[in-house]
Amino acid sequence: MLVNLQGPWSPLLGRLAMSQIPYENPILVGTFLLVVALGMAILGAVTYYGKWRYLWREWLTTVDHKKIGIMYILVGLVMLLRGFADAAMIRSQQAMAVGPDSPGYLGALHGYLTPFHFGQIYTAHGVIMILFAATPILVGIMNIIVPLQVGARDMAYPYLNAVGLWLTTAGAALVMTALFIGDFAHAGWFGSLPLNELPYSPGVGVDYWIWAMQLSSVGTTLGGINLIATIVKMRAPGMTWMRLPMFTWASLSANIISLTSFPVLTVSLALLTLDRYLGTHFYTAGMGGNLMLYNDLFWIWGHPEVYFVILPAFGMLSEIIPVFSEKTLFGYTGMVLASFGIAGVSWGVWLHHFFTMGSAPDVNAFYSVSTMLVGIPTGVKVFNWLFTMYRGRLRFDLPMIWACAALFFLLAGGMTGMMNAFTTNDYMVHNSVFVVAHFHLMLLLIVYAIFGAVNFWFPKVFGFKLNERWGKWFFWFFTAGTATVFIPMFTLGFMGMTRRLDYIPYTQWQPLLDAEMAGIVLYSLSAVYLVVQLYVSLRDRALNRVGADPWGTSRSLEWATPSPVPFYNFAYIPHVNARDEWAWRRENGVAQLRHEHYTGIHMPRNTGVPLVLGGLSLGLAFALVWRMWWLAALCLAGIVLLVIMRSFARNTDYTVPPEEVKRVEDAVWAGASVRGADGVRSGAGGLTPAHAPWAPK
Amino acid sequence: MSASASETIDPAQAPLWDRNHHGHDVIGTRTFGFWLYMLSDAMIYAALFASFGVLSHVMNMAGGPMPGDVIRPGYAYGETLALFTSVLAYGYAMAALRRGRAGGVAGGLLGAMVFGAAFLGLVGKDLGDLFALGITPERSGYLSIFFTLVIYHALHIAVGLLWMLVSLVQLAREGFSSNVVYRLVNLKLFWHFQAVVWVFVFVFVYLQGVIA
Amino acid sequence: MTHSADNPLEHPEVQLADGRGYLLVYLFSSALLGAATWLVAKQAMAPLGLFLLTTALAGVVVVAQGVFLLHMEFSETQRWHTVSLVLFIPLFILTIGLSSWMFHGLYRRTMLTPRTAAPAAAASAGAPAMPGMDR
Repeated sequence: MLVNLQGPWSPLLGRLAMSQIPYENPILVGTFLLVVALGMAILGAVTYYGKWRYLWREWLTTVDHKKIGIMYILVGLVMLLRGFADAAMIRSQQAMAVGPDSPGYLGALHGYLTPFHFGQIYTAHGVIMILFAATPILVGIMNIIVPLQVGARDMAYPYLNAVGLWLTTAGAALVMTALFIGDFAHAGWFGSLPLNELPYSPGVGVDYWIWAMQLSSVGTTLGGINLIATIVKMRAPGMTWMRLPMFTWASLSANIISLTSFPVLTVSLALLTLDRYLGTHFYTAGMGGNLMLYNDLFWIWGHPEVYFVILPAFGMLSEIIPVFSEKTLFGYTGMVLASFGIAGVSWGVWLHHFFTMGSAPDVNAFYSVSTMLVGIPTGVKVFNWLFTMYRGRLRFDLPMIWACAALFFLLAGGMTGMMNAFTTNDYMVHNSVFVVAHFHLMLLLIVYAIFGAVNFWFPKVFGFKLNERWGKWFFWFFTAGTATVFIPMFTLGFMGMTRRLDYIPYTQWQPLLDAEMAGIVLYSLSAVYLVVQLYVSLRDRALNRVGADPWGTSRSLEWATPSPVPFYNFAYIPHVNARDEWAWRRENGVAQLRHEHYTGIHMPRNTGVPLVLGGLSLGLAFALVWRMWWLAALCLAGIVLLVIMRSFARNTDYTVPPEEVKRVEDAVWAGASVRGADGVRSGAGGLTPAHAPWAPK
Repeated sequence: MSASASETIDPAQAPLWDRNHHGHDVIGTRTFGFWLYMLSDAMIYAALFASFGVLSHVMNMAGGPMPGDVIRPGYAYGETLALFTSVLAYGYAMAALRRGRAGGVAGGLLGAMVFGAAFLGLVGKDLGDLFALGITPERSGYLSIFFTLVIYHALHIAVGLLWMLVSLVQLAREGFSSNVVYRLVNLKLFWHFQAVVWVFVFVFVYLQGVIA
Repeated sequence: MTHSADNPLEHPEVQLADGRGYLLVYLFSSALLGAATWLVAKQAMAPLGLFLLTTALAGVVVVAQGVFLLHMEFSETQRWHTVSLVLFIPLFILTIGLSSWMFHGLYRRTMLTPRTAAPAAAASAGAPAMPGMDR
């Protein structure tokens, strides 16, 4: 059954050999040294400060949804940096390798990246940005915020939550491993068939890509189940469906998408795996295979996936804009319906990714129309946000400026998306950088919403605000970078530049490519401001401490508990009486959060099993990439055994005694009382009285 | 206009905190999550059936065996009966669980395991015969998806058998604890779902393969 | 997050079990699928008729199993189970149906049809071949 491999294979190491280590490539060696130095520095610091025990007990074995969320976001940030480095390399190569006279370095004919290396970089850039940066960061934010917004103490399945985190982390680690051992796929983030078949891509790169995607896919599916069950089953008393905060609604629709679409990704990749490992003929060019089947299955997942990342972003905008407009969200019911409209339509549009396949005209027409339908619920959302701002008392704090810019990018990206929805137009711009610019604007809208959300909810999670001044510098440089990269890219697309060029034959494109390069420089500068912002905020955290409601005009339930949130979230589960519960309590003067007495709280116990499961999954994936069958069997057996053993565990939860709850609450409020007696209106927004004449009644 | 304005709740009287929190329905929450997982698994089957539809054109046979050459409907009906009987036995285990009879639960589980193993044996024999004839997944695109669908379903049955074994041990150790009970309900969902999926495999892959 | 102190056997989902219903649906689905198998083995009808009939029988069996085996109903306990299944069904149909539709059209336009099937395919193709198909 197993296919014959080109090249050596040994029972012990599989395909792994010294020749697979890219030690002759100075770029990779430099990166490797940097990673080793950073890793040593971090490990050394942890050892020096004696934090190993703390790290293990408080983070690595935690089942607390907030800490898991923070770790998701950290994984996402690290991968965001890696993805950005890839982007910078793509841009610099394209700026250098223009015209036949352009010089070549490091073995490349033009520029400094060989075509094979360049292919790996743009593949890694796409995979990382979508699956290992955007997805973990969004999942992390949903993880932190959704249980708070529905008034729960944790997710429905805290243990499963940790499993999802460590599976995703294993996937990210696998992508990073591909950098230094072997190579990565070179046929685009969504894979090109039959190029990804074994005869044409005999290396391990495609296998790395397959198994990294699979790990992330399983992790995200588990996370989706968890979030849906949390929203359906764990809502606080009184939290009826039509009182759910909009971010929770958006998370629900997004996770329905992830639950339903990720299995299809699993299938599309599994069939390719069978082709590459067992010699079946699913996607081969001959022997009864059908390579377009791959595109079909992949985009059945791929298109819902882009809405999986965009719907939470819409949810974030729906939370930020009302708070800084000091009004309730306009058209709540319409927003809910629009979220589900987008989720529903996302299931009938996938062929627009391959209009040029040559389907019958009625098929193309169907998908063209269904794609345009997406514009209706999205338009509803945009107008609802605008009407929320209309006659509101706008405050341009950091979250709000990110949200406003996100609206702009939604408009620009959405309009160009509508242009692509026309089949006739798509035949012209298919695979051109026009399409690339379009979907980057859409993804940047998500990034903008994320930065807005991070600034918005950071004080809730950590108890202090991020620095406003440096944050604005970061915002403006980032925005300048976005404009400078993507406006020329749209232009180049119309001039006929196709995507993924490692060499550009037309020298007249040089100025626009240089402009894009300048944009990357602006982006890099903005990253410096981000680091400064984080550093300054951390340094001055004592000055920026906040109470429960840092913005003073917050509306939903997550603000009805101290900042930072205690590990049990709510000393008493809140009873919900209104749609914007916290705003309702504030307006009616019942925003008191302290209690006289406490009762015991039932909580799940920390466990190291998810971490070990993640490690074993990483081992399994690595063994399968290199075809070390013994290691794969060992890891698989370990996973099965561990799951069974865990099912025998009885001591999985405990009750926090009332004295402990009281101790934690007292400590939290002692910290907060320095700034404000009741800890409620102590943030910047605390300057506005709750019963101002313009306050929503 | 605030959403809260339309509410007629008196803030002075409204309950703000749930002082007597009784916790969530653990069994109901667990089975709901597992059901969602089963539905995502059903989505995997849907994708496999979509692939089956795409790879059933005569070109996908690549000049190799046609569906009529690899499918014996009568034999497959025997497999169907074995699986349905196993599902019925598990159903009786659940009926015994309802009445709190451990012996009935164990007997039902054992019966389900016997017939489940019989199903696996029948499928294994069927596929083994095809392999002996040189009819393998590598032969054509159609055979690739045919074997993948059937083996993926059989894998579920194998996992179910292992799970039943573990359940028997846990039942003996813990009796009807909350954990054991919710897992038996989940396993019931899993096992009965396999019967539903098998109806699709049997009708669309086996029976309709012979028709064409 | 507290465990209910109640007897887990009293949980409504355990109480759903119904031995008689399981037996009924066992007999019903075995009989229906047996009939379908017999019809197919005897080639008792034209292919299209058999195709439609077996599909219909599968549908009936699956609905019966959904009701009696999986307890798809709108009671308090099962409501969300049923809702989630009902929401999934259109996606199954979209995935399989739209894929089949797309590739049906694609095959007609791009695939060389083997000699045995050529006359029927050519007759059903109807539309003239696309220009450039012969490249």
